[in-house]
Amino acid sequence: MTARQTAIAAGADLKWIVNSAALLGKRVRYDRQQAKWWGLVSLLTGQLGLSLKAAAALSTVALRAGSSSSRVTAGADTSGSASLIVDLARYDSIFLGNLSRALVHELPRRRGRPPRRGTKGAVANAQHYGVDLDLIRSAIRRTPAERLALLETNAAFVRDMRRATA
Amino acid sequence: MSFASMLTGLTKKKVRFVVVGGVAAAAHGSSRVTNDLDICYDAEAAANIGALASVLAGWKAYPRGIEEGLPFIMDDRTLRNAPILTLTTSEGDIDVMDRIAGVGPYDAVRRHSERISALGVRFRVLDLPSLIKAKRAAGRPRDFDHLPELEALLALRKT
Repeated sequence: MTARQTAIAAGADLKWIVNSAALLGKRVRYDRQQAKWWGLVSLLTGQLGLSLKAAAALSTVALRAGSSSSRVTAGADTSGSASLIVDLARYDSIFLGNLSRALVHELPRRRGRPPRRGTKGAVANAQHYGVDLDLIRSAIRRTPAERLALLETNAAFVRDMRRATA
Repeated sequence: MSFASMLTGLTKKKVRFVVVGGVAAAAHGSSRVTNDLDICYDAEAAANIGALASVLAGWKAYPRGIEEGLPFIMDDRTLRNAPILTLTTSEGDIDVMDRIAGVGPYDAVRRHSERISALGVRFRVLDLPSLIKAKRAAGRPRDFDHLPELEALLALRKT
């Protein structure tokens, strides 16, 4: 995982992760386990107002329970009158949603400035890029309904091919 | 498993959404084949989040690219806390998002959309100039690779 993917999976700002790691004297690793841990630390500090140190300790306790229990008491006072319960099933759902987005969508960006539009105009640039202009012209002549019906057919064909070769 | 079944399911449950991404590009004339439906939904209305979550739960939505069998609750609370989700469902792959890079949140996306009738459903798709802006803002190589075709489409439609 990249640093950016880790931050997205954690639902936290990358700078916040780096700065918090420095404050905790912890080395940052960009992987799934760390993302899950930083996500919970971020939630406990940002939404419950716990100190960074307390949130880090409670997150470690909560996530140590793993998937064996859905609700974990991460901390309690000595009298037992107040406790902090983490709903791991809920947290897992949010984390998996963010993790999926990080892995599927957040692919490395192209470095540097975005490519500039060519000076010859969009059509000439597309042709230079290898775009089939006849295909575009025939698509323009169709209605949106006809275009999407064609997409549906083509997508089904691709799905069937993938299934057959899997 | 089809775009038609997903669009029908969403409109039947009165989910407020705009189709963006590859399906919107195809509606405007792009020849690229996409396998997932990307939608931007109204995340300001609690009822809309609930309706969308209920549709997705009915389709047994699960995060795409994640090994099966892990605990995942698809409901409005998950959607509120993870407003951008990439999901695989019984009806096909769907990406849901509360905002589009380069365009903005749902209200802005809706302002830059047009209503079409296709696949037996009436729904909104992001307009072509905004789709180009979104691809440019996303900044991923695959988005940049799509730009020459979309820009040519825009130019040829004007002529």
